[in-house]
Amino acid sequence: MNGLLAVGTTRSTAYDGRSYTRGGTVDRADVGALVQSAADGDAAAWKSLVDGLGPLVWSVARSHGLSDADAHEVYQTAWFRFAQHLGRIREPEKTGSWLASTARHECLKLLKASKRWTPTDDPQLLDRPSEERTPEESVLDSEEAAAQTERVRLLWQEFEELGERCRQLLRVLISSPPPSYQEVSAALGIAVGSIGPMRQRCLRRLRARLEARGTK
Amino acid sequence: MSDLNDERAEHDEHDERDGELHDGLLEEELRQAAAILDPVPAELRRTAVDAFVLHDLDARVAELTFDSLVDGIPVRGETDPPRMLTFQSDGVTVDVEVTAEGLIGQLLPPGPAGIEVLSGPREHARLTADDMGRFAGEAPPAGPFALRLRTGRAVVVTEWLRA
Repeated sequence: MNGLLAVGTTRSTAYDGRSYTRGGTVDRADVGALVQSAADGDAAAWKSLVDGLGPLVWSVARSHGLSDADAHEVYQTAWFRFAQHLGRIREPEKTGSWLASTARHECLKLLKASKRWTPTDDPQLLDRPSEERTPEESVLDSEEAAAQTERVRLLWQEFEELGERCRQLLRVLISSPPPSYQEVSAALGIAVGSIGPMRQRCLRRLRARLEARGTK
Repeated sequence: MSDLNDERAEHDEHDERDGELHDGLLEEELRQAAAILDPVPAELRRTAVDAFVLHDLDARVAELTFDSLVDGIPVRGETDPPRMLTFQSDGVTVDVEVTAEGLIGQLLPPGPAGIEVLSGPREHARLTADDMGRFAGEAPPAGPFALRLRTGRAVVVTEWLRA
């Protein structure tokens, strides 16, 4: 009896920890206030929003298998619309979800357009990572960090070879800072309740791939 | 028997927490990899920062209410049909037709207006709607665009989208 109770309690704590206190919830606490300041004309607040939520918007664009050019347009459209609606959004604290959902709808529209007009245009084929090297990448190229670079590349390679659904979910989940499950739900049009189990399955599948290659 | 079950439950519980810890670490490692290998391109971040100038609480936003790409029925045989767009804000309707050749539009209720074609934070072109509310210009820029219309009474900005 006691044992059962203890197990039950532990389980619910673990569940709470997973679903409701992801870093995102804490990091996002100020979003409502930043949106308000930006609407009042504070450019620095706007910049903070771009830095805090930009990676989420980008991850939504990247997770839909668009060409680089289309991904760029989705990102821009989401921010232009947000600027246009600044001060008019009903729940400013949910701006992350608003941006994610705006980006998702734009992605679906572009996918539809490319199917209709250029049926041979395979977005997956066009979706090549940029050849340009970021400063972080250049640093990683230095001798000392070679092993770590190798590890990062291998991890990314295995990630990119996951099935489409896992790749899509994980790409949004790993934006930085970590998005809340509400934001992930808005980004991908999936129920909040299904994110946790899918995440677990996808991460374990990735780990299995890495183990099969003899890493980790 | 009951002890054995408890033990197994405890063991599973342990595995479960262990697995969750591993998942969290792998997710974090992947997050770092994404930041290195697939970050927001610097020029895009700059564009988003610059987009702050687009906020205008006094302008009315005309929402997209019809888009032939989404709502239209494809016409067989037509490979590149014109894109028909309708934007509405209370009392004002803007119909726009975009082809490779250019852009033509109609403002309702009919009346003169100054129109700016916006390409992100930058102005791309300036058009004028005549007394009948008709306007025409070159094709909109590549990438997302919006129209800012100044009628005698109000400033209306259309929702951002790609032509």
